[in-house]
Amino acid sequence: MNDAMSIPHLIMNASTVVQLVMLLLTVGSILSWIVIFQRTFMMRRARKAHRGFEDRFWSGVDLNELYREVPPEQETQGAEHIFRAGFREFNRLMSKTRSPQAILEGVQRSMRVAWSREEERLNLHLVFLATVASASPYIGLFGTVWGIMGSFQSLSMAQQATLSTVAPWIAEALIATAMGLFAAIPAVIFYNRLSAESGRLLGKYEDFAEEFHSILHRNLQGRSDAGGA
Amino acid sequence: MARRHARVGYGLPTLLAVGLHVLVLLISVISLPASDREPQPSSIVQATLVSTETVTDQAQRAEAARQRALARQAEEQREAEEQARQAEEQAAAQEAQREAQEEVEEQALEEARQAAEAEAARRSEEAEAETRRLEEQRQAEEEARREREAEVQRRQEEAERQREAEEQARREEEAARQREAEEQARREEEAARQREAEEQARREEEAARQREAEEQARREEEAARQREAEEQARREQEAEEQRRREAEEAARQREAEEQARREQEAARQREQAEAEMQRLIEGADERVANAQQGQQAANDFIALVRQAVEQAWRIPPNVSSGATAEISVRLGPSGELFVAEISRSSGDTAFDRSAVQAVEAAAPFAELRQLPAGVQRDYRQFNLRFRPGDVR
Repeated sequence: MNDAMSIPHLIMNASTVVQLVMLLLTVGSILSWIVIFQRTFMMRRARKAHRGFEDRFWSGVDLNELYREVPPEQETQGAEHIFRAGFREFNRLMSKTRSPQAILEGVQRSMRVAWSREEERLNLHLVFLATVASASPYIGLFGTVWGIMGSFQSLSMAQQATLSTVAPWIAEALIATAMGLFAAIPAVIFYNRLSAESGRLLGKYEDFAEEFHSILHRNLQGRSDAGGA
Repeated sequence: MARRHARVGYGLPTLLAVGLHVLVLLISVISLPASDREPQPSSIVQATLVSTETVTDQAQRAEAARQRALARQAEEQREAEEQARQAEEQAAAQEAQREAQEEVEEQALEEARQAAEAEAARRSEEAEAETRRLEEQRQAEEEARREREAEVQRRQEEAERQREAEEQARREEEAARQREAEEQARREEEAARQREAEEQARREEEAARQREAEEQARREEEAARQREAEEQARREQEAEEQRRREAEEAARQREAEEQARREQEAARQREQAEAEMQRLIEGADERVANAQQGQQAANDFIALVRQAVEQAWRIPPNVSSGATAEISVRLGPSGELFVAEISRSSGDTAFDRSAVQAVEAAAPFAELRQLPAGVQRDYRQFNLRFRPGDVR
């Protein structure tokens, strides 16, 4: 490989626009990788937390005890967040109304809000990943087209056009496309993977919310039965 | 517990992402140029040359030799051109000479014609003189014959003999003139005529013997007739001779013309040679002047090329100071680069390639067009020697 044709050399010799495009793509690539790593870690933790919470929830512990384990000012995540929001609303409404219908409606609403927050949290930055995945090939292509344009402009001033005079320009320009693809391919793969993961987690949260709702419903039903009896 | 995993920070992912990119960059840099670990500093730091004017003796000598060779080439080329021009000029000169020659020939022909006329006049005079002489002779002969006849009256045989002797003398005279074929015929004729004359004479004799007085007249008559015939013959002879002489004269004239032409040719050739010599001398002077001028321009051109190449040259790192590469450069008519190839490698391919690239980057050498036309072609191909420190 020639020294003059090495990739760093080509990047250094490229025109300003192409260099800017390359810079943009590099930044995009780095950011998308940050997102990928962060999301991956976060998803893994969320999954682990969810599994732990479910284990604990179904271990037969008293719900009041479970609720009091975490101080109310501390923020919780995932299914625990949904549980706490629902249980808090349930306790508040229990003291105010006797209607099980009203209580269940309030609990469901608050749990839907919590679920929505969880969804937002899980899907945070995935849109950025999608943007990088879809836009960076075009950005890279733009850099290539611009570079080749410049190469042909300078070629028109040259006396003779051999392959060796054109080759560095084109190689330079093509680096932009390569970088665009380099940024886009992982972004696409991880966007699909992470969004699937978050969808799966959200499904689990929804399931949990339904189960919790049915527990509360059952509880209220028993209480109203007891109250009625 | 779940509380411990409450938040995932951005520090670690950022670190990881940056680390990943650096890794990719390193892989791309390391795997492609195996020898260049740090390509960026190497390609920039040594780009500037330490000096452009360091000159080694050897390089200078090589340069001088090369220039001399180039000058010689130029000289040869110019000479060839000169020759071509000379050939053209010669052709033109030959044309002119041919014309001149034709003129001269015409003149010569004219002269020859005049000479021939003069000759003819002279000849006619001669012929007249001859005829006059012959006339006199004839008169003398007539007298002699008359005497003879008078004698014949007395001694026919003697006269006969005399006539025979005369005839013989005449024949000898004719033989002396070396007109063999015609003379023979004439002689035969004459012989026949003689025979006739003899017969007649014999008849005359007889007649004389019988009729003396009448015979005299008749004889005279016959003699007159004979004389007439002789004269006729002689006239014929004369005319023939004249014709022959004329032919001879014509031949001589032709010869003379030929000679004149040959001389002219020789003179022309001599002139031509002289002119050529003159032209050669002039051409040599001109060539010397041209060569000096061309040499000057060529030196400027070489210097420009060298400077451009030096500026475009980026010496790769880790090149030993003794490395020398020679690049053979061939240019197009307007200075564009046709071929830059390694005529002598330094052994270091990176160094060779950098030299070729320097030439390619410095091309086109539009200064070539500013050279004099005669020298341009000589400088369309040259060698450049690269060594760390200078370009020769």
